[in-house]
Amino acid sequence: MSLIEIKDLKVHYPIRTGFWNRITDSVRAVDGITFNIEAGETYGLVGESGSGKSTTGKSVVGLEKVTSGSILYKGQDITKADNRRKLDYNRDVQMIFQDSLSSLNPRKRIEDIIAEPLRNFEHLSKDDEKLRVLQLLDIVGLDADALYKYPHQFSGGQRQRIGVARAVATNPKLIIADEPVSALDLSVQAQVLNFMKKIQREFGISYLFISHDLGVVRHMCNNIAIMNRGRLVEIGTRDDIYNHPLHIYTKRLLAAIPETNVNQREAHRASRLAVEKVYQEQQSK
Amino acid sequence: MAENFEQHSDISAADLARLSQEAQAEATPSTAKIIWSEFKADRPAMAALFIIVGFIVFVMVGALFIDTPKMMETNIMAYFNQPFTPEFWLGADSGGRSVAKQLIVGSRNSIGIAIGLTIISSTFGICWGLISGYFNGYIDWGMQRVYDFMMMLPMTMMIIVLVTIIPHYNSVTLTFIFSIFYWEGTSRLIRSRTLAESEKDYVAASRTSGTSHWKIIFREIMPNISSLIIVDCTLSFAENIGVETGLSYLGFGLPSQTPSLGTMISNANDPNNITQYWWTWLPAALEIIILCLAISYVGQVLRRAADASQRQGAAD
Repeated sequence: MSLIEIKDLKVHYPIRTGFWNRITDSVRAVDGITFNIEAGETYGLVGESGSGKSTTGKSVVGLEKVTSGSILYKGQDITKADNRRKLDYNRDVQMIFQDSLSSLNPRKRIEDIIAEPLRNFEHLSKDDEKLRVLQLLDIVGLDADALYKYPHQFSGGQRQRIGVARAVATNPKLIIADEPVSALDLSVQAQVLNFMKKIQREFGISYLFISHDLGVVRHMCNNIAIMNRGRLVEIGTRDDIYNHPLHIYTKRLLAAIPETNVNQREAHRASRLAVEKVYQEQQSK
Repeated sequence: MAENFEQHSDISAADLARLSQEAQAEATPSTAKIIWSEFKADRPAMAALFIIVGFIVFVMVGALFIDTPKMMETNIMAYFNQPFTPEFWLGADSGGRSVAKQLIVGSRNSIGIAIGLTIISSTFGICWGLISGYFNGYIDWGMQRVYDFMMMLPMTMMIIVLVTIIPHYNSVTLTFIFSIFYWEGTSRLIRSRTLAESEKDYVAASRTSGTSHWKIIFREIMPNISSLIIVDCTLSFAENIGVETGLSYLGFGLPSQTPSLGTMISNANDPNNITQYWWTWLPAALEIIILCLAISYVGQVLRRAADASQRQGAAD
């Protein structure tokens, strides 16, 4: 059985117009997607901005109100807040946010930030809690003197690692990583990603890895879903997607990866333009 | 599950005391220390703080030693007594009552009302704004219609009517009557910031961490808009001194037997007093100006302390 099963998930936002503010239309941010996440794997969700991948992630963690469809966890539909409460759902499913600065409360010390899920779900004694926070800081490679500092005193990479530590604190089964490294520069990206991989190996966590960066996704994910305009256009393993793309949108995304080999520059450009032309033709139909 | 973490980290219970001590040494200073270093960096504000605290303490304590009913008795012999005499430091008014003593008791009354009014109306306004802004949707809609209704009422006229129909009122009831009408501005201000603040990721992170709505509102969002709250409270304190004063000046504030800054300033209604007997109204007017200026200085320092990018204090 899969860890989490998403069935025909739809998230629509109403558009209200006119004098009476009636609902006249809706934005279909997520429009009927279905996929499963297995325990211990990293599932990649790729798409351009505005394709609904973040909305999907937020629905899975329970932050977004779902219009229709279901998300099954332990056989329960967690799109209902009651079921989430009964299962202590967020103890098992946590989230890492894109913007590390705004996802850490600027008025709280690091100890309080990391201990927040522990206080709500585990009710440890004061010393045990502090010990757990210190261990978590150690696991993500931060010193103990971070304990009483504020988020703005850390660099972007360190902050993102604090975000990872908070997400791992309750030993969850699934972590939604919503573009966790897209705000970081390349060397720091590698550092944070390797910490995430290390934690996955040690704790057997699954990731739903949301990104628009195909290089990063290739590094992280076994299974990948390509998303466009609220729908999944292609699902497959890493090998399927990168070596045998079927859908034209996937081909176009892959063609957009810059080629470092200068000798093949012209060939790469030609193939990109060819894909773009097919894509445009299909769009206009 | 705890063993799971033990396995992957070298830190064990034995290190706890040592590590937390190390962390303590590196800790960022507390808010109180930051505020104090801000005051030290800004001399005028420090002077303003001492003026406010000293004056309020002096007035509160001094008023305890003054027998108000006796002080308010008419004394024909001291009719418009000149100031700077041994018995009347600041002279006497048309009833021969000591201006200095009236100033002390009157300041106590006016400042007391202002403090009470600020505490009640700001607390209510802040809660109203936070709840309305955080929950959004129908709750926000309903709460904002109540707000609109309250804003629509003509405030000064309502207070005057309430004061006239209530038979026996004193400074406490007057504070409550004012409080009904003075929470609105604060609530709208707080709501607008809460709307922006509750969209931020740390609120979402708190929700996925299982924190309850009330805890998020008062422990997560409120500290983040504290600079706004502090500035609003200090400014509305300065303004609230004016509220009571203004109504007493019009004759609808405190009863005439209770001295206040407003009743003293209303001495200036009489052209004779303005031209010849300046000591009957000038001290009260000066006091209000100095007090309000000092409060706004202190408010600026508190705002700077709450916002790291504006700080001037050395220690950080």
